[in-house]
Amino acid sequence: MLNDGDRDSQTICAVSTPHGVGGISVVRISGSQSLEITRKVAGFLPLKIESHKVYYGTIKNPYTHEDIDEVVVAYFQKGRSFTGEEVLEISCHGSPQICQSILNTLITLGASSASKGEFTYRAFMNGKVDLVQAESVLELIESQSAKAQKLALRQLKGKLSQHLEDLEDKLIWLMAHIEAGIDFSSEDLDLVSAQVVNEKLVEIENSLKSLVDSYRVGRIMRDGVTVALAGCPNVGKSSLLNLFLEEDRAIVTSVAGTTRDVISGDINYNGLKLTFLDTAGIRNHTSDIVEQIGIKKSREAHSEADIVLFVFDLLVGIRPEEEELLSQLMESNIFIIGNKLDQVKEPTLAPGFEKLMRYMNTSKRNLFFLSALDQSARPQILKEISSSLFQADMQDQVLLSNVRHYENLSKALSNMASCRRLVSEGLGAEFLAIELKEALIAIQETLGKRFDDQVMDRVFKEFCLGK
Amino acid sequence: MKMSPYDIIVVGAGHAGVEACLASARLGLKTLVVTTNLERIAYMSCNPSIGGLAKGHMVREIDVLGGQMGFAADETCIQFKRLNASKGPAVRGTRVQSDKQLYSEHMTNQLTRHPNISLLQGEVKRLILEKDLCVGVVLHDGSEIYGKAVVITAGTFMNGVMHIGLTQTQGGRVGDKASVGLSNQLADFGFSVRRLKTGTPARLHKDSIDWSKTLAQYGDNNIYPFSFKSERQLKLPQIACYLSRTTEKTHEIIRANLDKSPMFCGNIEGVGPRYCPSIEDKVTRFADKESHQTFLEPEGLNSNLIYLQGISTSLPEDIQYEFLKTIPGLENVKIVRPGYAVEYDVIEPTQIWHRLETRTIRQLFLAGQINGTSGYEEAAAQGLVAGVNAAHSVLGREEFVLARDQAYIGVLIDDLVTKGTNEPYRMFTSRAEHRLVLREDNTIDRLAEIATKFSLIDTMSVDILMELKKRREIMMDKLQTERLFPVSETQAKLARLGTSELLKPVSFEELLRRPEVSCIGLCELGFEMDMDPNVSEPVEIEIKYSGYVKRQLELIAQSKRLEELRLSETLAYSEIRGLSTEEVDKLSRIKPRTLGQAQRISGVNPSAVQAIMIYLKGHKKLKELSLVGEGGSIS
Repeated sequence: MLNDGDRDSQTICAVSTPHGVGGISVVRISGSQSLEITRKVAGFLPLKIESHKVYYGTIKNPYTHEDIDEVVVAYFQKGRSFTGEEVLEISCHGSPQICQSILNTLITLGASSASKGEFTYRAFMNGKVDLVQAESVLELIESQSAKAQKLALRQLKGKLSQHLEDLEDKLIWLMAHIEAGIDFSSEDLDLVSAQVVNEKLVEIENSLKSLVDSYRVGRIMRDGVTVALAGCPNVGKSSLLNLFLEEDRAIVTSVAGTTRDVISGDINYNGLKLTFLDTAGIRNHTSDIVEQIGIKKSREAHSEADIVLFVFDLLVGIRPEEEELLSQLMESNIFIIGNKLDQVKEPTLAPGFEKLMRYMNTSKRNLFFLSALDQSARPQILKEISSSLFQADMQDQVLLSNVRHYENLSKALSNMASCRRLVSEGLGAEFLAIELKEALIAIQETLGKRFDDQVMDRVFKEFCLGK
Repeated sequence: MKMSPYDIIVVGAGHAGVEACLASARLGLKTLVVTTNLERIAYMSCNPSIGGLAKGHMVREIDVLGGQMGFAADETCIQFKRLNASKGPAVRGTRVQSDKQLYSEHMTNQLTRHPNISLLQGEVKRLILEKDLCVGVVLHDGSEIYGKAVVITAGTFMNGVMHIGLTQTQGGRVGDKASVGLSNQLADFGFSVRRLKTGTPARLHKDSIDWSKTLAQYGDNNIYPFSFKSERQLKLPQIACYLSRTTEKTHEIIRANLDKSPMFCGNIEGVGPRYCPSIEDKVTRFADKESHQTFLEPEGLNSNLIYLQGISTSLPEDIQYEFLKTIPGLENVKIVRPGYAVEYDVIEPTQIWHRLETRTIRQLFLAGQINGTSGYEEAAAQGLVAGVNAAHSVLGREEFVLARDQAYIGVLIDDLVTKGTNEPYRMFTSRAEHRLVLREDNTIDRLAEIATKFSLIDTMSVDILMELKKRREIMMDKLQTERLFPVSETQAKLARLGTSELLKPVSFEELLRRPEVSCIGLCELGFEMDMDPNVSEPVEIEIKYSGYVKRQLELIAQSKRLEELRLSETLAYSEIRGLSTEEVDKLSRIKPRTLGQAQRISGVNPSAVQAIMIYLKGHKKLKELSLVGEGGSIS
């Protein structure tokens, strides 16, 4: 990457709307020669062209003089466009052939085909967006669900940046007061009291903590949620998988141990991507080597999943092996599902049912009785899964979804925790200053306000530049 | 008249000039000092004290690098104080009050007795230039003096104008006339010259003060001299300073007379220091503050003059009388010399290299207030660096540049040549991003080797420093290897020290890490330590704060990556995409040595540094960013 140094001086173009047939497609062209090149295909553009105005006309091939399409061309002058460069956007009819034809013509005339993220990269380089915003553009392009899209859009609008800048301000204010206390200690200044310093420290720490905590939800919104089905053999996990996926993905038989490998499938529920994993049933004594490997994989899947659906057979009840498995899943976000409701009269009378009590939350909202063969059970469980992940007020909250942001801010958070310790131990203000400085660096690095070549290398790997 | 050529000509004999000529003389070069007044060598024109927060650090650095300031201050100390003693070790600063007259005499003797130094009273009117090479100076009487390099330390004298009320007088200091011509010549040559301002308070007669209404402030009993050459015993009797405060009435009088203040009626265009405001400034900007403190500091053991710290002013003398009389203790005050403001020319310091040579005139070096700084210590530090570099350039040796993580002097000069300054620049500990490792106590560890490498100190000094370093290492080694065992006798002693019992054998080092255990405590546990605080203190601090020191070192290592990326002087910034016009302009002008320096230039954004990096990577010019310092610089 970054090897072709002249790349940045080239004029680039690409179709900026999704692939496929649509009403309208937009071809974007950015760079110092944008207007010059576009004029050659759009002879209708006036000599005195105005920024942020659109012009209607017909695009022609400059060599064959054949009409390509009727279009609307928007012009953005240098410094007032998304990339900060001279930009033209050609809105044409949404046919892949027309788009390709326009692109090919532009390229023949000297433009280059833009790489993934290159417009954003230029916007960032020209100071039009900050790093968090640049990253969210990429996430927006790649988002796989409505929730991910909404989150990325929120960040593009600068919600997270605003929040971080607010924290940055607070840190700088605090640092200024602490430094003044050091350098002007003999000059009779009215310095803020230790109590005010403490309050500010706590305020910043809490703010960082809620951001760091939001990563769990933010990540789920972006990447979706993984749900693993766990339980003993032959309790109906594969039937449940098929129920959720609404297709016969897993082979279902009455033979215990049919599922050997982890089988997965995705669904989209209310804008949230859910990936279900069906795993081999856990049993302690099996001589089958393949099944043993499957069981090992199951345990891995359980520990990596965001949610575990523990399934048991209401006819059989809770066996010692299942109790053991449940205790291993104590750390997980767990739902307990009694299957084969159609075959029992009173599910709470299942053998060993009382043993379940300690694995249930107080409201018992994670306990379900159902039959995997009954379609109506599906929406009920999906709704519960979804609402267990998101609180109602989260819609407009600032959330972290990027691992780089998460790592940086976790670091800043630990600096703030150290500050609290330093204050209680009564260590010198210059040590406090070091913690605050490190926290500030972490926040500024997140925003891209601070240059670090290693961070930049990491970020620009995602931009996939150069050819 | 044409005189025989010198190696080095130093113009000015203030705190910068003195260190500059001593440095070049120590390196064996024939050095001439030209000053307008031989009676005022190393004269303290303002406060009668040396050191302070961050400044004390620089004095110790100057000392280890062979300079004279620290020793002179020790010899003439009449009050010793360690500031911020209650704060952490890195931000403690030594400050002494010196007998002003004795200090000047001490330095005068150093100069007159040095076989390589000649002194000449006279005013330098202009430089002798051969194209872009400086070869000498022309004096007021037209005589020409030739030298291989010239160091200018003009202080506040270039086009100096003093203000008392609305009266203006040519001059750089009361009793001394301004030097006219030099800055005009530099401006004509293309240098950007700007105007700064500073001020000084009134001097009072000590017999006119009612001391009973003031509060005596004594110095410390524990003495940590600046110089490694000094004994831990002060030579002169110690005196007190006296604290008093302004009153509402004081402020009323000042406010009512602002129209007579040259600052407020626009007579002064020069920018003053924000951190050292005049009393007019204080009562205007902090109007709701009822009172400001002032220290009454004797200027010497045999002096009748009292310096009024914190009350610098340029109001007319009658108004000064009027408001001073409202300060408790000063009801019948007699002013010996009123306070005044002085405006002077400085050369925008981004026009000089780190070695303090100007970028456009070779063999011309600038040091001190001429570079926009304020303070004796800042001046002396630059004087030393300029003197060494002037000598080295004559001798054809490598340049002498200190890095930001090595010394406050490195921070000072890098800030000046990288960022420039809009106001008189004073050093603060917060300017040093590597503050925890730039301590007063470890100055020797930081700089002794460099001083030896550049032959800045004589062999006797080298021996003293190396001996101290070695004893520190021995003590550190003992602490790390000797262990204490959990036997009942030990546990009882630990309990007496107020610390918890041992669970397993530990080294003395581990024990010393406990906040409640000190080196003295270790002695009670049977540790035989070096009782010289010059040895034990830095070792103790190093151990106690090793966690943070380590983190600071990691941060330094990180920033080093950018410091190691050297930028060619011929880099065409205008070709780099993503740089604003302002950034191109600044980068082209300052020509940063490294990417790290580029990042520190004010107005150059981080995105610009990215752009430069990407440009260089793209053009495969990284090879040009050689990791080897040009001329073997040690930065």
